[in-house]
Amino acid sequence: MKINYFNPNKDYGTPARLSENLVTLEIDGVEVTVPEGTSVMRAAALADITIPKLCASDNLESFGSCRLCAVEIEGRRGMPASCTTPVDAGMKVTTQNGKLAKLRRNIMELYISDHPLDCLTCPANGNCELQDMAGAVGLREVRYGFEGKNHLDSEKDHSNPYFSFDPSKCIVCSRCVRACEEVQGTFALTIDGRGFDSKVSPGQNESFMGSECVSCGACVQACPTSTLMEKSVIEMGQPEHSVVTTCAYCGVGCSFKAEMKGDQVVRMVPYKGGDANHGHSCVKGRFAFGYATHKDRITSPMIRNAINEPWQQVSWDEAIDFAANRLQQVQQQYGKDSIGGITSSRCTNEEAYLVQKLVRTAFGNNNTDTCARVCHSPTGYGLKMTLGESAGTQDFDSVMKSDVIIVIGANPTDAHPVFGSLMRRRLRQGAKLIVVDPRHIDLLKTPHLKEAHHLALRPGSNVALINAIAHVIITEGLENNEFITTRCDSDSYQAWRNFIIESSNAPEQAQIITGVSAQAIREAARTFANANNGAIYYGLGVTEHSQGSTMVMGIANLAMITGNIGREGVGVNPLRGQNNVQGSCDMGSFPHELPGYQHVSDPIARTRFEKVWGVTLDDEPGLRIPNMFDSAIAGEFKGLYVQGEDIAQSDPDTQHVEQALRSLDCLIVQDLFLNETAKFAHVLLPGSSFLEKNGTFTNAERRINRVRKVMAPIAGKEDWQITVALSNALGYPMHYNHPSEIMDEIASLTPSFTGVNYDRLEQLGSIQWPCNEQHPSGMPTMHVDDFPIGKGRFSITEYVATDERTNGRFPLYLTTGRILSQYNVGAQTRRTENQSWHDEDLLEIHPHDAEVRGIKENDWLGITSRAGQTVLRARISDRMLPGVVYTTFHHPGSGANVITTDNSDWATNCPEYKVTAVQVERVSQPSEWQKNFTNFNQLQLQLLQSSSGVLHSHTEIE
Amino acid sequence: MSHNQLNTLIRMANQIADNNHHYPFEQAVALVCNHLQKFWAKAMKMKIIAYYHNDGSELNPVVTAAIKQLDEHYQTKSASNAESSIA
Repeated sequence: MKINYFNPNKDYGTPARLSENLVTLEIDGVEVTVPEGTSVMRAAALADITIPKLCASDNLESFGSCRLCAVEIEGRRGMPASCTTPVDAGMKVTTQNGKLAKLRRNIMELYISDHPLDCLTCPANGNCELQDMAGAVGLREVRYGFEGKNHLDSEKDHSNPYFSFDPSKCIVCSRCVRACEEVQGTFALTIDGRGFDSKVSPGQNESFMGSECVSCGACVQACPTSTLMEKSVIEMGQPEHSVVTTCAYCGVGCSFKAEMKGDQVVRMVPYKGGDANHGHSCVKGRFAFGYATHKDRITSPMIRNAINEPWQQVSWDEAIDFAANRLQQVQQQYGKDSIGGITSSRCTNEEAYLVQKLVRTAFGNNNTDTCARVCHSPTGYGLKMTLGESAGTQDFDSVMKSDVIIVIGANPTDAHPVFGSLMRRRLRQGAKLIVVDPRHIDLLKTPHLKEAHHLALRPGSNVALINAIAHVIITEGLENNEFITTRCDSDSYQAWRNFIIESSNAPEQAQIITGVSAQAIREAARTFANANNGAIYYGLGVTEHSQGSTMVMGIANLAMITGNIGREGVGVNPLRGQNNVQGSCDMGSFPHELPGYQHVSDPIARTRFEKVWGVTLDDEPGLRIPNMFDSAIAGEFKGLYVQGEDIAQSDPDTQHVEQALRSLDCLIVQDLFLNETAKFAHVLLPGSSFLEKNGTFTNAERRINRVRKVMAPIAGKEDWQITVALSNALGYPMHYNHPSEIMDEIASLTPSFTGVNYDRLEQLGSIQWPCNEQHPSGMPTMHVDDFPIGKGRFSITEYVATDERTNGRFPLYLTTGRILSQYNVGAQTRRTENQSWHDEDLLEIHPHDAEVRGIKENDWLGITSRAGQTVLRARISDRMLPGVVYTTFHHPGSGANVITTDNSDWATNCPEYKVTAVQVERVSQPSEWQKNFTNFNQLQLQLLQSSSGVLHSHTEIE
Repeated sequence: MSHNQLNTLIRMANQIADNNHHYPFEQAVALVCNHLQKFWAKAMKMKIIAYYHNDGSELNPVVTAAIKQLDEHYQTKSASNAESSIA
């Protein structure tokens, strides 16, 4: 019989098995053919034959505890569990008969004898597998009563802000425990006790919040009863419809079903059909969506003449006219190049595309940039120089075929949690791990990890380390000569080879620079070079350095000399920070590149755009964000349109940024909230959250995913409509009825997007670009046969020490990063219950450094750099090397970027966030900047509250 | 132009040269010139060219040579534009 196609809304009971050997069997008289290793339960489900089940789920390995899925198999004794029984050729299976029905009823009777009979008032009513199974097996009576020992009075655990745990409803099927282990990889849950006393326990009988639980929601999703239940469902009831959309947090780009009641989101459930996440989620995407309807949302356009004046609430037309007039006045006074725009990596592709188009057409210059400037711009530069394309080479699933995984300057379990879980799954299967990071990241604590190398290098020494690894591989003859000969440019290889074998690149020299022993470098290099499939994953710990671009090229060089390009399990994989960093770069947000990374000086590309856009385009690159700031302070750059980006908090050297923003005559901020940048603005245009608009995001694996509107925009306009209105007011007409029309224009101008349109996205679910005539369904693995530039090009990656040096005055290095529960500047997550996990940024300091300074846990610490000073509380931690301190930047009052400097990557100006020389000492009061920040913040919130029109009574003054 | 802005441009240009230090001089000059051409805004390039003409003492020799090439490029372009406008 023909097997049905995969239906993401159906649970097939056990996971799919991949095998070229197909097995044919008979189930209830129906012939079924499935891959060898498939369970009888799954084979039946594929043939639309339903076998009752409770402990089985197709995202978990079979367990065989509930016995409800028992079947009879001709020639076999007893009634085996169909979930744990693999198919055999010629097997004849019976799933329904009187004997099986009696067994199943008896099992259900026992379950229900220790289960509250409060179905009508239970939050799972209408969506309860236990209830469904009672119905399916025809349970009509429970003979045992509740007089005996039972669990009905078990204490509930409400400690987690998002879900509750009611053990009285638990049937101890272990789905939650197995989901925590197999799907999430945290192992926070266990079955405590034996026999009748068995119970699900977070950690060692701790509360959920007190345990190692990371609140990913996998257990809640796995629970077949209401034992683990979202508090939003308890409060609001079961949803009545759902819409599949894409998460707006990190670069993994998980697909979710927004489960709705009218226009209210009841819960976000990870979508099994999402190719990036396969039904898994993290605490941000799963639960932290409440910001979308938070009382702090700006719901009306506002204008003011100066930043010390109250806001005036005005109509959209008035606000747009005011903004357009101001921009035109600035251009008349200071020239065409005196204004610019910043596209958002949190907005959709279509919205980013329109902002850069607005800048290039209506503004008439190329002063467009994006927040990728401060994160992954070196990725764009480095990968284009070496591999010929500014993007990662793999899909996420590729990691499941990797034998050795290098993770450099990334913290996937915190910053890309769903991919971190996938990587952990592969590590449990035996893949070896090499971590290059000054900090002992959680990936190194993966349960059942077999072999790990931690190269804990000094901040700023990445390039010396990657060169030393390459040196070992070349000098020990471990390189893949066939790949180098056939796939790489020989001249650049020879030049690079001559460079890399120099003694200055030997591990013994690198040891002096990096602090990592030569032996450890050699062992890691051999491990990687000898892998069948070696994959490299990296994050901002690579890019946010003065040699960020050099390091990216060093990574590409390493992948090429080991032949780890062009197939599954290998590759160069940048882990993008925000949801649409890849997309905003693809859409031409950089000042030197039109959409599709086509340089503005290329007359052929320019002509194509000029024809469609109807203007003459500037053939010179525009200003990058740091250049805009410098130019603003110099009095030459006077107007800026910022779409969904908080440069006042996220960009380095805060005092410099603030000075630049104060220098502007016209700052237009389009955002959900009065963010830190908006406090310096003259026009505030209320944006729309991902729930309020249509469009697409492109994740770190180049996957274009649909964003679907589930509610009307709170302030009345989707972000793309705001840009259209501004453009029209500036005299450059834009006409689009729907974002699909914008995508059609993008596809007509961008060679790697020619096959992308909304119909195709509906058909395929998602598309990994390039998508064109050669690859009509997209391309999961890049560079299989060749590179876009023909042969791979080696770049010489000489180590150049950063100017940011430690000395007697600034003896420690500060490096910054992220935490699981918060996202970027925290504008979204700080307005959710995620605050429960991280309500302030702390300074992590090594016990040795703390002791010599007399620092104790929670002491107030002054952190001083050449750029400024801030004050944070101390957390003593041996996760850092001695001499290195660490903090996050999720809270504006922390002023983490007051101390980061204006040093930047030589090629792209990406800031050097990861290396700041500092001194740390105990203090008793906030820094001067923090005092000023508090005063300015209070003033701006008062100005917001006293705005004419509707009073913003909900916005609290901090 | 502020003093700080010029200092930043000089530092950025020298940093580009430092990171291409390993290439032979002529190749390094070409790389730096190409980089400035492709990634710097025209106003930034004009400022560093002006500094090269007026002082230039803080520029790395590779950068000095690269900016000379850049300057020639713009002079040629300007002349060519002038010719085409006359024609």
